[in-house]
Amino acid sequence: MAQAFPYTYYSCDCYDSNTNITSAKRASQQAPIADDEDERTFDPRSPRSNYSLYPLEHLLYCEDCQQIRCHRCVIEETLAWFCPACLFEVPSSLIKADGNRCIRNCFNCPVCMSTMMVNSLDDPTNPSSSGGPYILSCPYCHWSTHEIGIEFEKHTGISQQLSRVANGGRQIPTQKERDKERERLKDAEGRKKDDRDILSGSDDSPTRDRVREDIPPSQEDSFSNLSAFYKTQINAQSPASFSSHDVSFSSPASYARIMNLYSTSSTKKQKREKPVPMREASGVFEGLTIFDPATDAATIERIKKEGWSTTLAPAQKLAQINPNIRFESELRPIPSILCTKRGKRCRSCRHILAKPEAKITSTRYKIKLLALNHIPRLSLRALSTPTSQISASGPSASAPAFDYNALRPGIPTHFLLHLSNPLFDPVRVTLATSSTTPGKVQSRVTILCPQFEVGANTDVWDDALQSSLSPVKRTPALNADGQIEAGKIWDRGRNWTSVVIEVVPGFLKPVTTGFSLGGDDGKKKEDEELDEDEDLLEIPIFVRLEFEADMVEQERGIGDPKRSVEGQREKREEAFWAVVGVGRVAPT
Amino acid sequence: MSRPAARKAAPKGEYIETDSGNKVSRRSAITGTANITLGGRTVIMSDVHLRGDLHATRPSPSTGGSSSKPPAQTAISIGRCTVVSTGSVLKPPSRISRGIVQYYPLKIGDNVYIGPNCCISAIAISNHVHIAANVTIGAFAIIKEGVKILDGCVVPPNMVVPSGSVVGGRPARIVGEVGEGWGVSGGGGGVVGGAEGVEKWVEGGDLRELVRSIK
Repeated sequence: MAQAFPYTYYSCDCYDSNTNITSAKRASQQAPIADDEDERTFDPRSPRSNYSLYPLEHLLYCEDCQQIRCHRCVIEETLAWFCPACLFEVPSSLIKADGNRCIRNCFNCPVCMSTMMVNSLDDPTNPSSSGGPYILSCPYCHWSTHEIGIEFEKHTGISQQLSRVANGGRQIPTQKERDKERERLKDAEGRKKDDRDILSGSDDSPTRDRVREDIPPSQEDSFSNLSAFYKTQINAQSPASFSSHDVSFSSPASYARIMNLYSTSSTKKQKREKPVPMREASGVFEGLTIFDPATDAATIERIKKEGWSTTLAPAQKLAQINPNIRFESELRPIPSILCTKRGKRCRSCRHILAKPEAKITSTRYKIKLLALNHIPRLSLRALSTPTSQISASGPSASAPAFDYNALRPGIPTHFLLHLSNPLFDPVRVTLATSSTTPGKVQSRVTILCPQFEVGANTDVWDDALQSSLSPVKRTPALNADGQIEAGKIWDRGRNWTSVVIEVVPGFLKPVTTGFSLGGDDGKKKEDEELDEDEDLLEIPIFVRLEFEADMVEQERGIGDPKRSVEGQREKREEAFWAVVGVGRVAPT
Repeated sequence: MSRPAARKAAPKGEYIETDSGNKVSRRSAITGTANITLGGRTVIMSDVHLRGDLHATRPSPSTGGSSSKPPAQTAISIGRCTVVSTGSVLKPPSRISRGIVQYYPLKIGDNVYIGPNCCISAIAISNHVHIAANVTIGAFAIIKEGVKILDGCVVPPNMVVPSGSVVGGRPARIVGEVGEGWGVSGGGGGVVGGAEGVEKWVEGGDLRELVRSIK
């Protein structure tokens, strides 16, 4: 993650916790901390954790389940499709018919994927009446359809124009023309066969030549051939009298069919003869494409001649509609893929968690249940020197900025963990962390004040009025020696509290092995070699909240009638793992 | 997420504050001031170059090109609470039309954060857009509301970035969507009464606090 230090990720525990127990135990050598519910620590390094850690903005909160909801425990439902380039909404009927591509003038460059634009090739000294020919060109890498020999007459309806022309300017027949051509060829072949039978001659080369002399059928050709073939096959199989548009019960055909369905098996058996097995495609007109080693040889020859530079990168190839192409000359502009606007529901109770307005241009939400309105925000920052008072101007402090990318190993560093409470009730917080961070670089972590209270998120003006009465004391946690006293909070405000965390970053390489260079065998060395991101210092922190909240409306009345008193308060608790990314440990 | 404090300490009187609360650095380079509008509470940091001189030169039909004083045309308009960080260049987009270079007005909405060392030539940037450092936005690009543009990204000319997307890479591609809670301060955010050093603003949210903290 390329997020600036320090960051906080919140864990959504919707994944299978059973598997995590074993992996976490294996990965972390230290004894699990005494947790009230389960005896495990969260390991941010476990491969599974990748999929459960989210920034707070990405999390939703289900008020009915009283749980955090991440991407994996919500159901998404598509509200609208739109093209990211022209921002037009595409109706869902069109999606079913035409697929998830924009059918306007929106195309992506097949080389660099940026949006293409229509440019005129008109000669300014001798302008034509239509202003064209036009080409699609990429403003980023300057690739254009000119390179594949395609020009357009009009600057509108590019996708229609593009669908009719192949690379090099050859016309692509439309579906109707294709059908007609297929029929013609079939007839011709049939006639040839008849002729041959009559004459019993063996000369069938003219037919073959006619097929061969043409360019091998394109993917679209063979697809349309194959689909037409299968359609005829299905029509031949199903009873001729029953067709899809003939569904009235008065017709004798459908009556017979229904009788057939509901009659006993014996009569069915008598009536039905064994179905003729379906034939597979057996020719070019039926969509069969026979592998020809000559095309491969030609491809190899071409690569030999023109070099690798004319071939495509895998990403470019995969982005193409026809993924079987190999050369730059075969590239086609990619119609832009549509985007969606989605609503989200809780996977377990199906309540809507987020519902954007259906209009494409609107960014507002009708419903949005955010986790950051229910869960305290944790943030960390370095406490540069515990004794010096930091000016209230904040970012423009004159002290040199703390370098989170080079934490000095072995030197105790103090950080402030800041918790702010979004709830309207005061919260008792219990923090817990393992004494050393998991992973090969073990850093010692001590939360100096693991239990404290955070005030309610009340009106801003309450705070202003109160603070005038009791001025907030700065640095209350310092004792006489200027040391940070354990068990005391650092600072607090209306709805926030900050506590000090002492971190002793671990050494990237064990200190002892620095001296013995000779005797190490390979296996041991490999064991000590650091993996990627091993220098990353992340502290898993277990956060447990206790607070009294108003009873949820639905819970009242369902249970004990005695409990359904107005203004009833209930004790609630919430617990989750969070991972605070502190920084990177500097090499010694 | 709030960003770490990385701004340099400024000497006293770095900014000239206007009546509407705009803060313009004394060390910024602004050309064609008549063609630039700032919405109020907008910060122009040092070494920012606003090319207001590159305005549309079309003869307006009402004057017919005969009037001696050309009417002031907006070349750059910036909304409220927008921050343009150090070293960024805002240059109105241009294209050649009928053989002459034509400039078009560059419009930036409210609460837009433009990181350091960016080069912006977009035609329109909507509200609540976060542009990280070292970003290049090509001519006539349209950035819709609530978009996050990642560090070092190059948005190609004419690209349209739909609202709520995260854009990155060279050339820019839509790499994801911002979370539902992106830009939502309040609640747990340290909006009011946050301790010193804790940022009181969030990316994509209201930048008023950030503007206030810049002195």
